[in-house]
Amino acid sequence: MDGFVIWLAGTQWSIALHESLYMYSITESAHVMAIMLFVGTIMMVDLRFLGVSYRNTPVSEMTAKILPWTVGGFVVLCITGVMLFYAIPIRTWHSIWFRIKCVLLVAGMINAAWSALKVEHDKETWDRGPTPRKAKIAACVSLFVWTFVIVFGRLIAYNWTDCDQNQSPFVQQIEDCKAVPADT
Amino acid sequence: MSLYHIAQGIEGSPVGQTIRESTWLFPAIEVIHLLCLAVLGGAVLMTALGVFGFGLKTPTPKEIEVSARPYMTTSVVGILITGLLLGASEPVKLIDREAFLIKMVSLALALLFTYFVFNPIVRKGDTGVRARTAAGVVMALWFTVALSGRWIGFS
Repeated sequence: MDGFVIWLAGTQWSIALHESLYMYSITESAHVMAIMLFVGTIMMVDLRFLGVSYRNTPVSEMTAKILPWTVGGFVVLCITGVMLFYAIPIRTWHSIWFRIKCVLLVAGMINAAWSALKVEHDKETWDRGPTPRKAKIAACVSLFVWTFVIVFGRLIAYNWTDCDQNQSPFVQQIEDCKAVPADT
Repeated sequence: MSLYHIAQGIEGSPVGQTIRESTWLFPAIEVIHLLCLAVLGGAVLMTALGVFGFGLKTPTPKEIEVSARPYMTTSVVGILITGLLLGASEPVKLIDREAFLIKMVSLALALLFTYFVFNPIVRKGDTGVRARTAAGVVMALWFTVALSGRWIGFS
């Protein structure tokens, strides 16, 4: 991975994206706009699963009508996220926040898969009534994970945990600072 | 007293100074600002999509607005408080930025339009052309607020 990010940083398009006047800003803005679509809608579905809001709407309608917008937001987030990584590969790869975010991202996707495959398979039986415990657990995990994906994602932008900022051995270990090339 | 002097006054205030001089305070407030934006986006979308017929249909857009409203209002309050704190840390820099001016104007319009035009129309149970137009305007206004807000950081 270290060799890969160093190679990536040297590619023509990575440099172009990083140094472009508008393209990087546009990508970053699209990423933020898509957060509204993705997290905004998934939170509302989670609130229905928790039985907190939209209690007069069937769960099946919530997932059928709202989740496509959530998925659309996620697709835009993935594309723009990859582009943002591609523009600044070495620094991002060695960011503690990026690494925590990736772990949470995987956790969120596993939870979403578990929710879709295991939790919702018998949702006809609780479509209009109170939701079962497993649905509430999936919703809580989802709310927690996506909230902190935003938190850690936003923190990648600040440089106070960069490898060149005199980090503690613990942070250096997590960020694998030894592998950062000297000239970056 | 000019706008510049007011900005200087705010920048020198204890609140402005504390946020500016702290390493983690600005990022922490910024994160809450962004989380509120996500919730607001969800709440506006739920209501607007319902009116357009692309979202929930049960029970009615009117009742969906009732469900979404607490999240809309809470996130708006959160956005305003954190936004004021962020602005207080660097007002002199902000008042000269075009993106900031666009954001403030679109924010005022978005707030007025949401609470005095769009929400009342939906609450009346209207889902016709008027409500759909209002839903489009509301989405466009909040989109402009978010986009110009992000652009403050780039300009």
